[in-house]
Amino acid sequence: MTEQHENLSALVDGEIHEDKVLDALSHDDQLREKWQRYHLIRSTMRKEMPAGQYMDISAQIADAIEREPTVLAPNKRFARIPVIGRLSNKVVPFAKQSGQFAVAASVAAAVIIGFQTFNQPPESKPFVTAPPAAGPQGGLAPVSLEQTRALPTQSRAEVLETRRHINALIADHEQQVKLKSDSDKKNQENQESPVQ
Amino acid sequence: MMGKLLLLFVLATTSLGVVALQSPDTPEQSPTTTKKLTAKDWLSRLKTVVSESNYEVSFVLSRVGHEAVPYLWRHSVLPDGTDMEQLNLQNGPGREFIRVNQQISVFEPDQPPYSVYGNNINGPIPTALLNAPESLYGAYEFVLVGRSRVSGRPAQQIRVVSQDNTRYAYQVWLDEETAMLLKMNMLDKQGNVLEQIQVSSFSFSEQPHPYFQRVNQSALPKVMALPPTQLGEHKWAVSYVPVGMKEVKQDTRRLAISGQLVDYRLFSDGLVDVSVYVEPANQSLNQDVLLRHKLNTFLSLTNGNVQVTVIGEIPPETANNIARSLVVSR
Repeated sequence: MTEQHENLSALVDGEIHEDKVLDALSHDDQLREKWQRYHLIRSTMRKEMPAGQYMDISAQIADAIEREPTVLAPNKRFARIPVIGRLSNKVVPFAKQSGQFAVAASVAAAVIIGFQTFNQPPESKPFVTAPPAAGPQGGLAPVSLEQTRALPTQSRAEVLETRRHINALIADHEQQVKLKSDSDKKNQENQESPVQ
Repeated sequence: MMGKLLLLFVLATTSLGVVALQSPDTPEQSPTTTKKLTAKDWLSRLKTVVSESNYEVSFVLSRVGHEAVPYLWRHSVLPDGTDMEQLNLQNGPGREFIRVNQQISVFEPDQPPYSVYGNNINGPIPTALLNAPESLYGAYEFVLVGRSRVSGRPAQQIRVVSQDNTRYAYQVWLDEETAMLLKMNMLDKQGNVLEQIQVSSFSFSEQPHPYFQRVNQSALPKVMALPPTQLGEHKWAVSYVPVGMKEVKQDTRRLAISGQLVDYRLFSDGLVDVSVYVEPANQSLNQDVLLRHKLNTFLSLTNGNVQVTVIGEIPPETANNIARSLVVSR
């Protein structure tokens, strides 16, 4: 019995397609109720349930379908797939129609891909590796600074030399600050030692 | 258990002592409000919690025009009394500082690891604020602003303004329950945030963090021997520095990148450091330059035959005042 339940569960999940299970399902009312419940549980868990009350109208639909005139001759294999509610040989299973849907879907997919490729925005910005300027909270402007004084016209070599010198000074400052705590301690030691 | 009780008792008495010591300094406070902690009381609470408890703090450093940088900061006092601290830069190749008592080991991606002596790791949070707030009282005024909510916790806000209003101001938020730092802003004179430290989470523990047990102390790099500083006779002085700034270093040496010989002095008020370089103008920029690098103001002026350069996290006007106060003795 438990094996049957497991099989049923797997069937609901679309994991197995065994005729044996389908057979058992179509002949066992209890199992069929379970099948219905499993679907109900799954829908609930996936939040696919309608907001209002749950109504089981599958039986009525099955009745109505039974009274409908047959349009298509059912394939024997598909006919054994149980329909929710009463079993009927005259219902065309969804799987059979899937071929038609597939064609329609592929056309839709082609349209979507085409739309995407034709609507790519053109690359307007130049490629920059530097991160965008973003402060901690929006709307922060740098204090001032950039070059505030106009420099006299210089040769390129002079500009580079200036930049190199500025970098040397800034790097040195940063190193001094980094080593400051160390030198503080050293100074203290020097003051304490009688040699100094 | 007894040890912890004793420690608690010691903590309580020390903080009481601080309150008692400070009450004569603030006569304008009425006796009814003495129970309320002042800004200085909060800072001494911060100092106690930072130096004595086991904690792990995650915070983010953001600067104008730069990406936010996350840090992890841990501190523990091991059962044998070893004081250990760790600061780890969490993005990219990272950077790791480990302090064992007074030895700080630095692991950086682009250079071999090294160690230096120091009482505290020099991280984004000013060490003087955490470990020696009393050293800042000469240069800054601390004003308790009031309660607010930071990182989901009730916090006390303290405003830190330089006595002569020549430097950037700070806003500091401390956790009301534990006095741990929750947030810190650095503001320019217009009130724009230049730098922000925001704690995202913190936790205290009875036991030292297991990370510190794993640190193999014998495998840490040896303490780097710094070249002895040459005390060159400087033929100059700056006659103006902001209130509370003191000279902490003076030497003559060659710049690492260009090899240029410079006279150098470092001034500090505990929160910001200002470097002053003096070189012959014809061997230097030989022009006036003002620019900003990160939060540092870089100002270089030609003063006769000498070029004076001031670098530090100070407003350009203050840098200008320092540079213009240069007196050359011949």
